[in-house]
Amino acid sequence: MAVGTSGGKTFIRPDGREKVTGAGRYTADLASTGMAHAAFRYADHPHARILRIDTTKARALPGVVAVVTQGDLPDVRFGGLVQDRTLFAKDVVRFEGEIVAGVAALTETAAAEAARLIEVEYEPLPVLTDFVAAMDADAPLVHSDWSSYERDEQMVADGNTISYSTIVKGDANAAMARADVVVKSRYESDASQGVPIEPRAVLAEWRGDEVTIWSSTQVPYAARSGVAQTLQIPEANVRVVVPLLGGGFGAKCDLHFEAQVAALARAARRPVRLVFSRQEEFRAIAQRREGIVMEFETGAMRDGRLVARRARLVLDKGAYCGEGGFLGQMAAMHACGPYVIEAISVESFLNYSNRQPSGSVRAPTAPQVCWGLEQHMDEVARELGLDPVELRRRTLIERGAEGPTRQVFDEIGVKQTLERAVEMIRYDRDLPEDEAIGVAVGWWPSGPAPSGAYIHLNGDGSGTIVTGAQENGSGAVMAMPTFVGEELGMEPESFTLLYQDTAAANWDMGSCGSQTTFNSGRAILAAAADVRGQLLDAAAAELEVDREDLELAEGQVRVKGSPDRSVSIADIAGAGTIHGKGSGDVPEVPAGDTGGCVGRLGSETFAAPQLITQAAHVKVDRETGVVRVLKVAAAHDSGVILNRMGADGQVTGGVVMGLGLALSEGTVFDDDGRQRNPHLLDYKLVTCSDAPEIEIDWVQIPTENAGPRGSKGVGEPPQVPTAAAIANAVAKVLGRRVRQLPMTPERVWAASAEVGS
Amino acid sequence: MKTAATLTVNGAAYPVELDPHLSLLDAVRDLIGLTGSKEGCDDSECGACMMLLDGKPVNSCSYLALQADGRDVTTVEGLAEGDELTPLQRALLEHGGVQCGFCTPGMLISATALLREHPDPSEEDVRIALSGNLCRCTGYDGIVRAVRSAARSSA
Repeated sequence: MAVGTSGGKTFIRPDGREKVTGAGRYTADLASTGMAHAAFRYADHPHARILRIDTTKARALPGVVAVVTQGDLPDVRFGGLVQDRTLFAKDVVRFEGEIVAGVAALTETAAAEAARLIEVEYEPLPVLTDFVAAMDADAPLVHSDWSSYERDEQMVADGNTISYSTIVKGDANAAMARADVVVKSRYESDASQGVPIEPRAVLAEWRGDEVTIWSSTQVPYAARSGVAQTLQIPEANVRVVVPLLGGGFGAKCDLHFEAQVAALARAARRPVRLVFSRQEEFRAIAQRREGIVMEFETGAMRDGRLVARRARLVLDKGAYCGEGGFLGQMAAMHACGPYVIEAISVESFLNYSNRQPSGSVRAPTAPQVCWGLEQHMDEVARELGLDPVELRRRTLIERGAEGPTRQVFDEIGVKQTLERAVEMIRYDRDLPEDEAIGVAVGWWPSGPAPSGAYIHLNGDGSGTIVTGAQENGSGAVMAMPTFVGEELGMEPESFTLLYQDTAAANWDMGSCGSQTTFNSGRAILAAAADVRGQLLDAAAAELEVDREDLELAEGQVRVKGSPDRSVSIADIAGAGTIHGKGSGDVPEVPAGDTGGCVGRLGSETFAAPQLITQAAHVKVDRETGVVRVLKVAAAHDSGVILNRMGADGQVTGGVVMGLGLALSEGTVFDDDGRQRNPHLLDYKLVTCSDAPEIEIDWVQIPTENAGPRGSKGVGEPPQVPTAAAIANAVAKVLGRRVRQLPMTPERVWAASAEVGS
Repeated sequence: MKTAATLTVNGAAYPVELDPHLSLLDAVRDLIGLTGSKEGCDDSECGACMMLLDGKPVNSCSYLALQADGRDVTTVEGLAEGDELTPLQRALLEHGGVQCGFCTPGMLISATALLREHPDPSEEDVRIALSGNLCRCTGYDGIVRAVRSAARSSA
């Protein structure tokens, strides 16, 4: 039974009332007595050696209570697979949003003025903005001494290339040589942004050696470990609490400014709060969607069989690794897609540049690579004289098929999603000549990870669910009381949630990787099973019956078939202390054969893969290049859907975000690597009046290695194939392809007019 | 130099001392302590800061607090009657129109203004009326359905 439909009762999310009345607190709404305001001094050059920092004038400004530079802090580098960054710049700045110093002052105005008064002397260094030319022998190095950095041994380091990953299956060259047709394509995507509507905020307050940090993060536990590592204090001394979170979309993953604000608060001996402006939210965060240059080559037989795929991808990492070291390998998997391909040779380069760092934004790398690959697949279909849908029917994976790394798939619903999407959009109908329907298919893994939860029953029979899970707005955590209530025969309203507080629960990956229901949900249900067992034991003793003869319903433990013989859960809870805990068994990641592959970083097989087909009906104005999306039909295999309202909300939101990626959202960099459109006037999100009709269906089939109750992830896949489906529809109208993302009116017009492209 | 003024917010009069450049949003959030209205861009682009000024929706981030002296300001905190949610607030929750909630205060203000002018708006009316309020979570679908449903239930 899915939340939202159970018992005919409408699901109201537990945090809903505070959100519609304005009573709910987000991080920027918090204040603390004596609080000072933080401001950062950013780099004055995109690449330069720092010769001198003089903070004298800033410190002398009335109202300034702290100034911090890297010289005041432990000499520690942080980062995921490569530890290449310090909290404040040390010796060299590498992008425009690099933080050189931080100040805290009694007013925001004084803080901003003090940041301006810091004197920094630089020696400019050559700026590298072209992430493809980054591989040239004479390219300037973004990190000249990074062989000395700590890094994962699978990170193949060479020049500006931070990782090199391959997927190798069979002999692609030989297979290509015997193909009936060979099609080559090149596509390029611009960088783009996550753009949560809430800009980032952090408030830090020390008590003795312990610090509490309220932060608008998706990953409080990663923030905690990052603060502990960079300030060299135990994790036990760091508590990260997330008030209501105003969206994330990946842009609020990773350690982000919690440690700098904690350092300022320690120096100021006062609480310090940082609230970002929209421009800072664009420029200073190390989490944007990466630009990618993609070259695909596919060899196919007349009947549609795909015998060979070669691909070469170059990705834009920007200045630092952050949590995004895996992006190259993930992109390589998407260059294969959910297709049966006999032989594969994909190589993927992740390169440094003097631009804002890229990192995980909703299904990182997938929407861009899918946009390129699915257009390429339509080109293959055209060469074969096959309808694009028919080519996909013949080549998509199914049960027993072998993936790019010889992962053998269990039950998998991608072909069903194709048929449902085509049916919902009414693919075969006649349309005016300026309208067309495009179809695209994508995939995304579920991410098995540990989690843990506690459930306490209180003396009055109410319950508290304690979870490390992070609610980003999707409702994934908000649905948990319903699941626990179902397990324990209690009303969802009997439970409150204690969540997104690192002092309360044990480690959780956070709201990333489509993992909350999959992992946090598993742990919460395991804790509920523990409570259930304790209730059954207590009731069995009290009623003198076997456990197996008991059931939990309507707040009672009662004898099956004799509901009069019962004991209330409240009575059991009041008699002692019932508290359960659970983690559940982490589903296994499927095996593959990665023998010939280089740079294996964890994405080489897909656990409980989520499959998606979307079909887009568009209307193109050839005169202006303006594309209007009239309808998107989205059919998804995310396993069993536990919360229909929440899952549908992920699709409508993901499709509209994908529409923005397709048509308007692109970060424009100048020749110095500076963003030219770091604001919402020129970085255009989709508005309500541009959003299309969206029809949704879920293909719900049993899944191997699934999450709780047969579920898979839901949050990231909706954005994967949207831009691709729109692109294929646009190409049908124009008879030509738009080869750069986003497909702005100018680019569509140019393709239509056969200018460039 | 500060100027003495009176801001009337959600029916209550607050005597305040205003810097001439202070925005209505900052005055309401920082001086009066009503933090329901949000700052998403400080640029009149996102709509998270919207308030009703004498019944008309304005982007309070780009409106001087002094200009609101003596006029009626309504924020999201002023919509519900006591503990009783408005039909619009209820509908937004029932139709999945709230996810992260950061755009919600501004959405509610825009939609409230719309329904006062057009008690039974078409889908297009709703979409145009809300086009100054950006939402990144929902794809707007649940919000549009909620506004139309609230209109029908109040009719």
